[in-house]
Amino acid sequence: MTDVGRHPKITLHTLSEVVDVKGYVGNFHVNILKRARYVDEKECTACGDCATVCPVVRPDEFNLGLSSRRAIFTPFPQAVPSSYVINVNECLGHNPVVCAKCIEACDKDCIDFHMSDKEIVEDVGSIVVATGLEVYDPTELDEYAYARFENVLTSLEFERLINAGGPTEGEVLRPTDLQRPRSVGFVQCVGSRSAKKGGTYCSNVCCMNTIKSTLMLKEHYPDIDIKVFYIDIRAFGKGFEDLYMRSRRSGVHYLRALPGTVEEDPDKGLKVSIENTATGKLETHQLDMLVLALGIKPASSTQRLQEMLGLQLTPDGFFLEAHPKLLPVDAATRGVFYAGCAEGPKDIKESVTQASAAAARAIRLMHRGEITTEPITSMVVEEHCKSCGKCAEVCPYNAIKVDVKRKTPAVVNTAACAGCGTCAAECPFGAIIMNHFTDEQILNQVHALLEQTPKEKILAFACNWCSYAGADYAGVSRLQYPPNVRLIRTMCSGRVDEKFIWDGFLKGAPVILVSGCHIGDCHYIDANHWTEKRIKKIHKKMSKLGIRPERLQLEWISAAEGVRFAKVMQRMEVLREGVTLEEIAETIEILKG
Amino acid sequence: MGTIDLDQGDPDFVKELAGQSGGQIRACFTCRTCVASCPISAINREFNPAKIIRMALYGLKEEILKSAFIWLCTTCYACQERCPQGVSITDFMTHLKNMAIKEGHAPPGIRAQLKLVKGEGRIYPIDDFDNKKRNKAGLPPLPTSCDAIKELFL
Repeated sequence: MTDVGRHPKITLHTLSEVVDVKGYVGNFHVNILKRARYVDEKECTACGDCATVCPVVRPDEFNLGLSSRRAIFTPFPQAVPSSYVINVNECLGHNPVVCAKCIEACDKDCIDFHMSDKEIVEDVGSIVVATGLEVYDPTELDEYAYARFENVLTSLEFERLINAGGPTEGEVLRPTDLQRPRSVGFVQCVGSRSAKKGGTYCSNVCCMNTIKSTLMLKEHYPDIDIKVFYIDIRAFGKGFEDLYMRSRRSGVHYLRALPGTVEEDPDKGLKVSIENTATGKLETHQLDMLVLALGIKPASSTQRLQEMLGLQLTPDGFFLEAHPKLLPVDAATRGVFYAGCAEGPKDIKESVTQASAAAARAIRLMHRGEITTEPITSMVVEEHCKSCGKCAEVCPYNAIKVDVKRKTPAVVNTAACAGCGTCAAECPFGAIIMNHFTDEQILNQVHALLEQTPKEKILAFACNWCSYAGADYAGVSRLQYPPNVRLIRTMCSGRVDEKFIWDGFLKGAPVILVSGCHIGDCHYIDANHWTEKRIKKIHKKMSKLGIRPERLQLEWISAAEGVRFAKVMQRMEVLREGVTLEEIAETIEILKG
Repeated sequence: MGTIDLDQGDPDFVKELAGQSGGQIRACFTCRTCVASCPISAINREFNPAKIIRMALYGLKEEILKSAFIWLCTTCYACQERCPQGVSITDFMTHLKNMAIKEGHAPPGIRAQLKLVKGEGRIYPIDDFDNKKRNKAGLPPLPTSCDAIKELFL
């Protein structure tokens, strides 16, 4: 941390909040609101004279309220920059002179009540999102009685108690009587792996954190009685099982069961009821202290940042990587990377690994001063553009700018364009050309595939990343599916223009399939939402025109769903058999008219 | 502890339950929060929600429905409230009771109560003796029969 503070090429903005991000890879403009510190961070030597005279006493957030701090304080001894800060909402102030004791105490005159918040704009090429995590609040899990009994602690509170730099200098004491507990229990999965309270996912770090805590306790006090209540101990990392074994060998009891109730004795001891899986018996354990191993949840700022940067979230609320295996630190938006728990629960080692990878990915992207993009980008034909703004609305990457009021033609930023083609499909005036997937190219394919005996053909549009790959998978798996399927590949199902469908039916297609990635899995953030909307619209039009809407199908097929691909095609074949030559002729008549 | 003969199990029982109220029991990861929360389990070891769920997953349908223990649940909902996997344990117990009645496995006491409710609309039927006592205490008389119940069960 100190190294970062000292590095000549790293600017550290503390007390700062990102307000807005504009631009694209290589050219991000980041608006930052830097809050006033009221202490000159360059001059302050962190001598602490100001804090000794400050009359305002508040709970110390870093020690989770187990100790106190003043209104002028440093969050923790190693904080960077090594400078004090005033919490302006707590400070008594100086105007009219109420207090201002710190100003008198400061020999270096670095306290300035006239400082104000600043807005800063930084131009950067790439962004690493490392916004961290929050912990689960166990108050709602009333069976563990965190809010009712003082001797029930969270894992974070316990960590501060056993830390040599903590409020008790590493001495573990019960909050009620400040005596050393003779027995300590740990409850695992508090707010993790729960369908109702907390996250449904495993928080990844709590098992090892508890194991570490038990070992530290045993080192401090060899005679202490420790019980760990768990469902599964997940000691999956390098050296983790070793640590778990050491803990068990040192005499820590691991009991497979979660407590049903926690009750308090008159002497403030705790009675924890479990049914032990090993014995099949109900047991009541008498403990002096109970520690709840809290789960991890996404930082509350996640959603705002997601909107600002156009990122995606997993259902858990953590940031979604561009690919779970092959691009684990990249965001779907080019030039944005993830590090640490912002992307998902992880321990220190994994966070450091991911942060190093994110830094390397960013350097790799930036060092040349220019980037290579796929040639599959969209292009605006200015003379056809009516500046309606539809393209800019559907672009998942905000790569298109249109001034609807001034009626200037749309402009595509090719560095930001990822090539899904949704804009070209949505443009009502045919003013957007999707390079390598032009209307002409696709329509020619439609015509060629339906040139002979169209009644026998199944016309299918498949997106490059999921459905086309699914077809491929069906092929390599040697799955049987009707041989009369004719596939047209587009980068995204969002590229499938309404006119491709009408043209297909006009050329005598009995049935048409549009297929893409499952909702939420789209490789172009959310472009397939527009596919869904468009198909619904076409279905309505078909009903109005008197064409059976069932003849146009929409299916989501992933790259791994070869079997599903084959099944969908078999279903399409059944549908096709139900379409008569008369019906096709009638459709053609309707569409011609 | 006896052994469980898995060949006796009905493999379709779990599938049969899946669509029913509280039937999503596959989510159970045997943390035993339910047992440790249950006021009945604390005094009567015959009743053990985690064990009943396990038996159901093994397909021991007959054994469950013929048992006396499913009738011990007081439907206090402590287990259902605390189950981290969202298994609707109390609803499941109620469903098992309904199944047991349908298959004719209800214990005699429960059957006698059912008969009373169906016939009289009350578990404790009121007669003239009760009304005399009520009269003495200055309370209004209660109807001795309940015809509405017949419409209800038609």
